Amino acid sequence: MAVTTPQQATGQVAIRASREPRNVFVRMYRQWADYAYIFPALFAMFFVIAYPIAYTIYLSFYSTPTAGDNVWNGLTNYTSIITAERFWMITQNTMYWTIVSTILAFIIGTGAALIAQREFIGRGLVRGIFLIPWVISHVATAYIWVWIFHSDYGLVSGMLMDLGIISSPLVILDSTTWAMPALILVNVWKDFPFIMIMMLAGLQTVPDHLIRAAKMDGASTWQQFRHVTLPHLKGVIIITLLLTIVMNLNHFTLPWIMTGGGPASTTHIWITEVYALAFRSLRFGIASAFSVVLFIIMMSMAYFYVKAMTAGDDRRR
Amino acid sequence: MAEELNKLNLPLGYRMNRRSVLRAAGLATAGIAGASLLAACETDDDEPDVGAAETDDDEDEEDVEEPEEDEEEEEEEPDDDAEDMTVDVSQWSPEYIQEIAGTMDFDTAEFCSNIVPLDYEGSVTFSYIGPTEASPQVTWDYDEEFWEAWNETYPGIPLSVGEGVQSHTYGDMLDQIRTAAFGNAAPNVARLPILWGVEFAARDMLEEINLADFGFSEDDFWPGALQSCMWEGKLYGIPTNNETMALIYNKQLFEDAGLDPEDPPATWDEVVEYSRIISEETGAHGFGMVARVNHGNTPFRFMPTLWAYGGSALDEAEDDPQYQESLLRSDGAKAALQAYHDMYVRDQSVPTGALTNDNTANTDLFIGGQLGMYIGHPAEYASMVDRAEQATGEEAELAQEVVDNIGYTLIPEGPARRAVVFGGSNIHIFKEEYSDHELDWDAARAIIAFQCAPEWSTKLAWAGSNPGHLQGFRTHWMEQRLEEIDFLEVASAMLPFGIPFPVIPEATEIMNITIPEMLQNVLTEQMSVDDAAEQAADEIEDIVAGRSGY
Repeated sequence: MAVTTPQQATGQVAIRASREPRNVFVRMYRQWADYAYIFPALFAMFFVIAYPIAYTIYLSFYSTPTAGDNVWNGLTNYTSIITAERFWMITQNTMYWTIVSTILAFIIGTGAALIAQREFIGRGLVRGIFLIPWVISHVATAYIWVWIFHSDYGLVSGMLMDLGIISSPLVILDSTTWAMPALILVNVWKDFPFIMIMMLAGLQTVPDHLIRAAKMDGASTWQQFRHVTLPHLKGVIIITLLLTIVMNLNHFTLPWIMTGGGPASTTHIWITEVYALAFRSLRFGIASAFSVVLFIIMMSMAYFYVKAMTAGDDRRR
Repeated sequence: MAEELNKLNLPLGYRMNRRSVLRAAGLATAGIAGASLLAACETDDDEPDVGAAETDDDEDEEDVEEPEEDEEEEEEEPDDDAEDMTVDVSQWSPEYIQEIAGTMDFDTAEFCSNIVPLDYEGSVTFSYIGPTEASPQVTWDYDEEFWEAWNETYPGIPLSVGEGVQSHTYGDMLDQIRTAAFGNAAPNVARLPILWGVEFAARDMLEEINLADFGFSEDDFWPGALQSCMWEGKLYGIPTNNETMALIYNKQLFEDAGLDPEDPPATWDEVVEYSRIISEETGAHGFGMVARVNHGNTPFRFMPTLWAYGGSALDEAEDDPQYQESLLRSDGAKAALQAYHDMYVRDQSVPTGALTNDNTANTDLFIGGQLGMYIGHPAEYASMVDRAEQATGEEAELAQEVVDNIGYTLIPEGPARRAVVFGGSNIHIFKEEYSDHELDWDAARAIIAFQCAPEWSTKLAWAGSNPGHLQGFRTHWMEQRLEEIDFLEVASAMLPFGIPFPVIPEATEIMNITIPEMLQNVLTEQMSVDDAAEQAADEIEDIVAGRSGY
């Protein structure tokens, strides 16, 4: 942590920081107005977030039969999940879905951002077109793509058959091999504009004079990107990737509507499985334990996200 | 003669009309009705014609003013007379349904007045699945008419959608009612699809029902419908409507495939064979299979096949189901799975999208002339007529051709039986502690009696179901339905073959997840038929025994 001294720091902020008392309660007392401002939000969050989380953790240690009272069963729900072959199959599906979706969306989103940043006639129109998938609702997206991929009357098969490229319809969403890649394709199509926007914002923070200097030094386009642009985008990239990973881990709508987790559970991911366990099978105990496992994973992600977000704060002090 | 019959032991509100007497005479001659009815019909020859409505009016007053006397009279009458108005389910067939329709007049207000006085003042909250954008206009009209009629009949218990009444969609209602009940904010009365009530009964959230408190008896409902309202030997609901499906087929495709369009498949083995022939000869799909996981359409379409071959998820198709042992290990269950495997994998004669399709996809394929046959509601005919009218150009011609060639037939039978899922809805009363509204028993009894009596159990089931109250089949509203809705009598004729899903709270999980996953494991060849059936049987037995971990 950088030590701020009156000599090194500039302005009143640094001087005030150096005079802050070490006792945390005294500091909190002095900042009472800040706490008063956030109290309503914290109060609401307690009921809509903290209480459900606490209750979910509580339920995760119980068996919850449909008829009768809940029964304490310790860690049985957790061991049952961890030792089940199905859990690992669904974990594999989830990793496949999340990692491939994130990487592809990042590559395409970054490429789109680089294009959208260049100055050319129609740039605004291109930016607008790129944003279309992002502004369409997930539910509408899911139904449109089901129609496009449908094994019996899908647009893709219809067009390819009309062109004489294939003789019978492609089996996509009903194939254990191709259903997940198809979902990932739709997910990437849906999410790349978000990454484009984030990267575009990052690109606009790269100082122009550094690019010009690199050009004058004879750097190629790739070298300019690799040695000048990319280092400036590091923070944005980390945050964008973390957000995208968390979004994909939590993504429910597309797999649920497009395949319902099928065929033969090959597109079930953690979040659809938790939903099915809780609201289709009414196994709230198991679903809660599953949710707690997911919660720990998500909080780990959140830790890195917050750390990335606040990485510069200490230095700024 | 109608007058004399009406002086017999008919329950309050029921009146045989002149037409019904003549029809009943015909039935009696056939040995269906009791001897006393036959005698009454014979003496009718010399009787002057009596306007049924006039007779009704006279009797109405007497019934309202002197109910005790009426009851006494009922006790004195021989039992044979009690059968005069019963619907003989042993004679059930499309012809019988046509025969009895329109043979009875019914006065709902009079009937209800003997349950709860019409000037009663009270309040009740009510939830149900109301019409949606996808519902035909007639459903909207009857829904509106129902609430108008209710408020006219019971002005002291005002109800309308938004004012004490919540209308849900099918997709949302279960979660919403669950959430409300857990939060002690359930409605006093709820009309729920047939599978859902048992969960709340098992959680001890529902009031036990005594049919007599509502003016009904067991004879008024299908045994299977009442069975779906039972939990641990007690009744927790009253059937409002019962739903059975039929096999819909495209006669033109049959002809194109070289099959006799007037001779649809009578067995499931023939369905497999016809499906293959249609697919090979016409390029269209033969049979509309649905095997999507987490979707109610799947068990409604697969279970009839499973039961027909002699299998079942538990033992729900047996006479006295215990819901402990799965019969998926049986040869019959494996034969049913093999039939599905043969159609999807071996013959490829069904839509490839069966693993992700719901039944709407089948309807789309059918109206496009791309599907030979599928299991559907009677309402699907009306839906296709609508679609044909909305289509334009070549599509309109094609759709009209399909509509002109629609055939309906009973769902085929298998080696064990003919079977169909006994669907529909039941009405329940939530205990006061799970509701945010004081339970006014009389108001609850009034709305239930009003809704479950023949008139509204017929009208509210107009487009795609059947009246829960068997006397609904005798009403002139049923006669009108039969005239308006083609093939209705075929789907209705499936009622005696109806088998309810297991009446246990775990039924939703078994039917919507375990059974479809078993199917998908077979259809994707992830497992053999034997392994998939064995695994599903183990899972189901674990679920009902409470042994299932993850």
